[in-house]
Amino acid sequence: MRIIKETHIKFMSQRRASFMVSLFLILAGIGSLVMKQGPKLGIDFQGGTLIAVQFTQPMEITHIRSALNAVPLDGRVIDLSKEEMKHFGGETNVAIRLTPRENEGEQFVQSVITHLSTSFPDLVPEDSKDFILTIEKVGPKIGAELSGKAVMAIGSALILILLYISIRFEFIFALGAIIALSHDVLITLGIFSILDYEISLPIIAAFLTIVGYSLNDTIIIFDRIRENIKSNKRASYIDTVDKSINQSISRTLITSLTTFLVVFILWVFGGEVIHLFAFAMMVGVIIGTYSSIYIASPFIVLLHSGKHTK
Amino acid sequence: MEILENKIIRQGLDLKGGMYIVLEVDLPALITNLALNIDHPFENAVEELSEQVNAPDADFFVLFKDAVTKHNLRLPRYYHEYGANVDDIVDRLKDESDDAINRVLEILRNRVDQFGVSEPTIQKQGSSRIIVELAGIQDPERARALLQSTALLEFYLVKDGELTNSLNLKIDKLLKGKEELQELVSGEEDMGDDTSSVNTESILSEDKTIPVSELFGDEGSEDDTSSAVVDQRLFEDRPFSSLLRNLGGDMGVPEKNVYAVKKILSLEDVRAQLESGNGQLFFGNDAQTIIGPDGVEEKIIPLYHLEDAPDLTGGVIEEAREQIGSQAGSTAGQPIVLLDMNNDGAKQWSRITGANVGKRIAIVLDQKVHMAPFIREKIINGGTQIEGFADINEAKDIAIVLRAGALPVPVNIIEERIVGPSLGSDSVRQGTFSVIVGLSLVLLFMLIYYRAAGSIADLALIWNLLLVLAVLASLKATLTLPGIAALILTVGMSIDANVIIFERIREELRKGKTPRAAIDAGYSRAITAIVDANITTVIAALVLFQFGTGPIKGFATVLFWGILISMFTAIFVTRTIFNSFTKGKQLKTLSI
Repeated sequence: MRIIKETHIKFMSQRRASFMVSLFLILAGIGSLVMKQGPKLGIDFQGGTLIAVQFTQPMEITHIRSALNAVPLDGRVIDLSKEEMKHFGGETNVAIRLTPRENEGEQFVQSVITHLSTSFPDLVPEDSKDFILTIEKVGPKIGAELSGKAVMAIGSALILILLYISIRFEFIFALGAIIALSHDVLITLGIFSILDYEISLPIIAAFLTIVGYSLNDTIIIFDRIRENIKSNKRASYIDTVDKSINQSISRTLITSLTTFLVVFILWVFGGEVIHLFAFAMMVGVIIGTYSSIYIASPFIVLLHSGKHTK
Repeated sequence: MEILENKIIRQGLDLKGGMYIVLEVDLPALITNLALNIDHPFENAVEELSEQVNAPDADFFVLFKDAVTKHNLRLPRYYHEYGANVDDIVDRLKDESDDAINRVLEILRNRVDQFGVSEPTIQKQGSSRIIVELAGIQDPERARALLQSTALLEFYLVKDGELTNSLNLKIDKLLKGKEELQELVSGEEDMGDDTSSVNTESILSEDKTIPVSELFGDEGSEDDTSSAVVDQRLFEDRPFSSLLRNLGGDMGVPEKNVYAVKKILSLEDVRAQLESGNGQLFFGNDAQTIIGPDGVEEKIIPLYHLEDAPDLTGGVIEEAREQIGSQAGSTAGQPIVLLDMNNDGAKQWSRITGANVGKRIAIVLDQKVHMAPFIREKIINGGTQIEGFADINEAKDIAIVLRAGALPVPVNIIEERIVGPSLGSDSVRQGTFSVIVGLSLVLLFMLIYYRAAGSIADLALIWNLLLVLAVLASLKATLTLPGIAALILTVGMSIDANVIIFERIREELRKGKTPRAAIDAGYSRAITAIVDANITTVIAALVLFQFGTGPIKGFATVLFWGILISMFTAIFVTRTIFNSFTKGKQLKTLSI
């Protein structure tokens, strides 16, 4: 079977349009990031507490809010009704994110959970250990450290990759690849911001995987360009790049399809915990495929012509 | 798959449920404990330090040296045993802190072992942190207490009632002059009908609920709607005493007032007042429920006025065991902990009890008074018992921590992740399901699209997955949920190598090469592309492994091995199969 027949698409002549599309996507993302004052960070980076509990019947968020407007804690009564709350997986599960507060004490989380279970005595699972789905508590210090680590991780991954491609190919190939990668991460970040999705530790892992994946695609094309330059030195640079993309297009699309398939399955069936992770991967696969054809390759054409006219 | 995960590969806490806790040793507390002749400059410096160590990646001893210079502290004054110059002393303090954390590690291991958790992980991270992983913990609160309680057992003599009364009067007097309280009195009418304050049970008709935040001008706590229950006129006259109740001869603090009382006790001049009387105030461990005159139940927590220095500490405890009080005694049916002391302890205990017959002695565990019985007679054998536990589990845990010994330095929980058993099993089910569905779809696609060659790739893919699982098992790596995600990703990416090769073979076939030559050309041309493309992903995986914690590491491990093995299976395994099929035959067509 063969879906994609031999193609002769002039990809490079479409680059103006593709740059416009990318620019639009990036600007929309940056606009959203600026409006919302940066990406929405999870407790991994900001510190705080996430509590997810499970009731026996569907639970309205508004009920939880009104229950949490007076939580007794250590002789005080605190109002948590304005904290962020949402369903977690299903209608019966509720996740509450509590911002870190000073002097919250060790009993804080336990008080909230006890208060929740006494507020809805009929809706708490019989086996009390089934009530708590998850509790994550990250101190502000750890949060700041994890942020630093995440930035370091993405930064050092980019530098190492730049180095590797410079050695294996040419420096302009490395530049083209890095531009495409930054493009992918920026757009994914933008989409997360527009959709109001949280950036957590696993999402950073997803970003790095996107980086690796998109690079994979890009390098397959670069490899072909390298081969074609060697075998036909007289052809123009643009023609060579176009030819290389056309030669590898069926592989690019098939691989993207199979990868997309598995992350799509993960997104649909993988459960709440990795739902957003799979979403980031899905976006990454699409953007990564697009960018290796329409961003990385045109950029090396641009960089190459810039180098030779000087 | 499930069998594999259960039997061979260790599951991460996010799959089987459990608790992950990062504890940090309280170094400022440690150097304070070690210091002698503590004065105000030293206290200020340490207080500042406690703030600074919260900065990310802060090195405590570097900060400590800076603080010493900044505050002009003469270190030998506080640590004369450790040397005469700053560097020597700081080096010794470092040794002490290493030693302390190792002891903490040892004690925590001991406690967890006795608690009975299967395969706990307790390890040091960096110089001041300990990571504890407990699988299948069902009661996080209990586990938390077990790990975090310092288990410092102390015996203090209780000050006599008259001293306590005069202390209360003095504190009242101190507070009466306070400007904050003056403001409170004048602004009281408005606060009385503050809608945000919670309606509390009133004891007297004139009772007002007064938001504590107003009382002390708290900043940034708009959501604190705490209120104390006081009699308004009494409060004006005796601000401190009015917050207290009589609890069978002891002072008691209604639960609603605890926060206000704690605030008052933390005021500078109140502390000075306590110090000048060589006393201190400690809360009791459990509340008593009293039914007030109007029939409303009220929880009241006892407050004790104790000497400021303990007469005996828990280091002398040799054996501790929990028990239900015997039928005959006053503690019938209640959980108690029986203590046995060593020779030295027994001697001291007999001296103390002998010298103070008729007085009361408070048994204090981690700054909470468990009981304060009268000493009826001299106790010679070193035996004693503690009461005042909520249930037998608490008594059992306290016995464990007392046996394992007190932590040389307090520890704080700085990160905590708990996954309940139901979420864990959901994740396993959903993860396994996703792997199976994703895998089947890819296998099916390859079979349809590349026919015979596709079946070879499918074989290689399955072989690849088995190898990855085998490697994980032999590395004793834990499979986490992100690990399963990486496994699925490996499926997607490892098929890629075969797609690259097959597409290349097809291309060579179109050029008119024989199947044999096309296969050779396809493999040799595709190999550089595959290696270059995969190495970059390996770089990403390595970086993740380096910087990641817990779940991310799991993801990186699987991704790393997945890619390496997929390169091997896609290139060598499929090649071998191809070769064995084409060997010696003159193939005219290739099913690809």
